[in-house]
Order: sequence, then C-alpha cells, then structure tokens
Amino acid sequence: MKNIPNVLVRSEFEATEIAKADIGDVARKLTLFERIIGMHSVRKLSILVLVIVVWEAYTQLSSVSELILPKFSATAQALYQAVASEQLLAMVWNSMTVLVTGYAIGLVIATLLTTAATMTRFGNDVLSTLTAMLNPLPAIALLPLALLWFGLGADAIIFTLLHSVIWPVALNAHVGFMSVSETQRMVGQNYGLKGLVYVGKLLIPAAFPQILMGLKIGWAYAWRTLIAAELVFGGSISDTSEGASGGLGWFIFSNQMELQIAHVFAGLFTVILVGVFVENVVFNAIENRTVRRWGMQAQ
Amino acid sequence: MSIKPPAGKGLLPKLVIRPEYEVSDIAQAQISDVAHKLSLAERIWNINGVRKAVILLALVAAWQAYTVGFDVEPLMLPSFSISFMRLYNDLFYSDLIYKVWFSVKVLLIGYSAGLVLAALLILWATATRFGSDFIAMATAMFNPLPAIALLPLAMLWFGLGTASLVFVLIHSVLWAVALSTHSGFENVSPTLRMIGRNYGLRGIFYVLKILVPAALPSILAGMKIGWAFAWRTLIGAELVFGASSGSGGLGWYIFESSQNIDTDAVFAGLFTVILFGIVVENVVFRNIELRTVNRWGMQQ
Repeated sequence: MKNIPNVLVRSEFEATEIAKADIGDVARKLTLFERIIGMHSVRKLSILVLVIVVWEAYTQLSSVSELILPKFSATAQALYQAVASEQLLAMVWNSMTVLVTGYAIGLVIATLLTTAATMTRFGNDVLSTLTAMLNPLPAIALLPLALLWFGLGADAIIFTLLHSVIWPVALNAHVGFMSVSETQRMVGQNYGLKGLVYVGKLLIPAAFPQILMGLKIGWAYAWRTLIAAELVFGGSISDTSEGASGGLGWFIFSNQMELQIAHVFAGLFTVILVGVFVENVVFNAIENRTVRRWGMQAQ
Repeated sequence: MSIKPPAGKGLLPKLVIRPEYEVSDIAQAQISDVAHKLSLAERIWNINGVRKAVILLALVAAWQAYTVGFDVEPLMLPSFSISFMRLYNDLFYSDLIYKVWFSVKVLLIGYSAGLVLAALLILWATATRFGSDFIAMATAMFNPLPAIALLPLAMLWFGLGTASLVFVLIHSVLWAVALSTHSGFENVSPTLRMIGRNYGLRGIFYVLKILVPAALPSILAGMKIGWAFAWRTLIGAELVFGASSGSGGLGWYIFESSQNIDTDAVFAGLFTVILFGIVVENVVFRNIELRTVNRWGMQQ
C-alpha cells in the first residue's frame, strides 16, 4: 500500500478572459459548388457522364478494335438505328409479352399453392417439400425438357418462366404468412374473418413486405431466365417468320454472331433500361403505395 | 351496424323478466380429461420428416405409376426408375462426377473472385462519398442486367473457355452482394456506430468489428442471392456454350443428353443439379446462419 500516487495540488487562479469566450458561427454557408455537389442526383449523373467520357476517350485514343469495344458514340448510334429501323421496340414488346404471361400465370399458381398451404397442414407439407426441391433448380435447366414437351415456341419459354416464378414467390409468401404475429391473427379472428377474407384482409397486408420480396426475386429470376432462353434457343423459339421479330435476347445473340458489337452493346443497354424501369419504377411505385405508406419498411 | 333509437318518443323496449330457477345438478359438473394420448400412428404422422418423406414418395410413386400405367413414350417422359438407374450408373460408372466437379470448380472460382471484388468495392464505398455514389450507380445499373447476356461479349474478350465463364459469374455475384452489403451497412444503427467510435475503432477495424457483424443478416442474404444467380448463370452458360468452354460441365451434360434425346440422362442431370443446390442452400448456408446470425440472436 505504499504506492499511492501523490495528490497534486495546483494553485488556484481566476480566468480573466472568460467573458471574451464566444462560440463562433458553427453553421457556415455552403458555396454554390458545394451545394450542387451535395445533390444526390447531380453526383450520380456526373459519375455516369464520367464513365461515358472515359469510355469514349479510351476507345478514341487507344486503337482498340471496334470488334472488341465499340465507341460509346457508335453504340448510341446503333441503339438509335435499332429503335428507328430494326424494330428493336417490337422485339422488346415480344419479350415482355412472353414475360408478363409467364409471370401472371406463375403468380396465380403460387397464390393457389400458398392458400392451400396456409389452410391445411397437408398443403403446408406439400409446399415446403416442393419448394425445397425445386427452388434450387435453375429454370433454364428445364428448357431442354420444355422444348421436348411443348415444341419450339412461346409455350416452352412460358413453362420455364412459370417454374422460375412460382417457387420464390410461393416460398416467400408462405414464410411471410407464417410470421404474421399472433396478435394480428387474433384481431382478425375477433372480427370474425374467415377463409379467403381472412387471407385477403389480414394475412396479405401483414405479410406484404415478404410477398413483395418474393415478387421481386421472382421477377429477377424470370427476367434472367427469359434472356438466357432467348440467347440459347432464340432463333428456334421466337417466331421470326413474320418480318423481323424474335426477342431481346435473340437480338443480342444474332448481332454477336454477325460481329455487330455496337448492336450487342445497344441490346445490353436496352436490357438494362428495361430492368431499371421495372425495378425502380414499377416495384418502387408498389412499395411507395403499400409497405412504405403503411410504415412497414424504412425509406 | 348502428343501434337505432326506439321509434316514437318514450317508447322504450319492454324488459323481459325470466323466472328464477336453481340448477340442481351443478355438483355433477366435471371437467373430463382434455389431453388424450395420441396413438402411435398419430405420433408418427406428427413428425415433420415423416410427412415430407411420404409426400416425396407419393410424388415418385405417381410419376412411376403414370409412366408405367399409361405406357408413356420414354423419350418424352422416362419413368422414375429408369432415370434413377441412369443417375446411379452415370455417377458411379461414368464421368458425371467429373462434370459436376468441373462446374463446381468454375463456380467456386467465380464466386470467390466476385466476393473479393465486392469486398474491395464496399471498402472503397465506406471510405469515400465518391465510392459510395459510384457503387450505388453501378449496382442500380448492373444488377438488373442478367449476367448471361454478357456471355457473348465475354466470349469475344476472353475467348472460349473458363475465363469467360468466370467473368460472367463474377458479374452475377458482384452486384447482388455489393448491393445488399451496402444497404446493410447504411442501416447499421447509429448507436452501434458510436460504440465503435468510442472504442477508437477506425478504418478497416471499424468495418470488420462493427459494420460487418451488424450487417451480417443482409450480407448473408446477398451472398445467398448471389449464389442463386451464379448457379443459374453457370447452368445457363453451359447450356448455351458448354461445349466451347473445354470439357463441359453439368449444364453441358444436360444439353448434350437432350440433343441426343437421351431423356433419362436429362432427368439424371436435373437430379444432380437439385441435389447440389439443396446441399449448398440447406447445408452450407444453413450452417453459416446457425453459427452466426442465429447464434447472435439477430434472426430466428
């Protein structure tokens, strides 16, 4: 106990300048430049412009072959040309028709499966067994079989799209239904809701964040499957007899075969645009009107 | 339903007075045994695994009965027993297992390269605002682009072979993982962040010790989606250009068999794809979840 530190006693003093102490202006006005750069959209847009400028400069200055990496300007021109005179929009329309058909039928089947699974234990077991088995199976792997069963045509693609939509949607909706809180269920039962009304009025709104997630994953799988299917069997699947139709994937594939690389890039841009539109406009609008408005999901 | 006021003023509904009476046999009331013993059959049926196995067996039996009973053309739909025998033969007496290994090898290379790139991007994004903007922009653009659509370009740039497959796989993993990790990091609560700063954690330690554990549920979700995309992309890519990428993998096996109208081999290939998918999703990822987020109580 010898090592107790000495207590230091400092001499007392009085601060004479305390009155002068002053908190300076913490908030300072931002310069115009800072305010502009503070805007999200400006920063993102400038990154996009920067990427385009770097791309264009690189292709102009280094003598990289047009076949390896076309100029941005050439790509934009190809996109314009494809839209204006090569019926690119019709091709997008073809792809989207098939996609929407498959997606809609898939949703109906998934709804039926999930309803059966929520109502009976047997349905629950069937659904969980089927999803555990079939969800890890890439839909595109079923395409060869679908071609054998349904022949070459839109039917085969729709079959694979069904497969890619049903399982993630049913799985997520079911998990969502299962995790609806007991309190909410009891409120519903208290109101005397039963059967379909119970599902429609109580379970679906309560599980909507999960359902929406399933819808988004289902869309992502379906979109990927469709492009892949058109890439693989585009020529044989799409009806190319009446003028130049076929789908978006086929546009990319056929242009790659003809080494029209600028057109390939134009096709990729279209794929990105459609994807961005569906994810950021369609799904965002749904989210804004439902889960965000109901306060179930953060911004 | 709203209660209507009585019609006419002062007209209250009449009170009904029922005669008093005494219940004489109340002493006999008795609560009987509510819990009753389940019979053996009921107890067995209540086991989840048993029910699922029965459903699986019923499906297989229905398939077998349909194909045998209706004499379905085996080229269109082979019976389960034929497909299963084909799977057994190809796995143990043929080179299917090497084809699986070939696919898995490419998948692992692409997946791990994608994860490393995603980690680097995310580090950059947490360090600077420019990086954060860049990653937000890039994921918004590239995440909706199916990786398989890049395959034609990849083959042009990297030639026919594993390199172009790996490139496409990286693309399919990178954006999904980066997107969900980035949003996971942004949703880490300020309290946790401040605790980290209080401990003086900075830079890479701050990321590893605070952000990564706090955002692990969404990182894992991203990794699962990335895996699902990569698996789908790989099978798709091998279906399309399998032969050109060297010895060929599982997707090529399916495609080759379907071209030869070897439908039982197609089913054998599909079984293999399902089995591998189940192993990865239910064994690998399930174990990671059990050891981390479930153990930490972040997810049930």
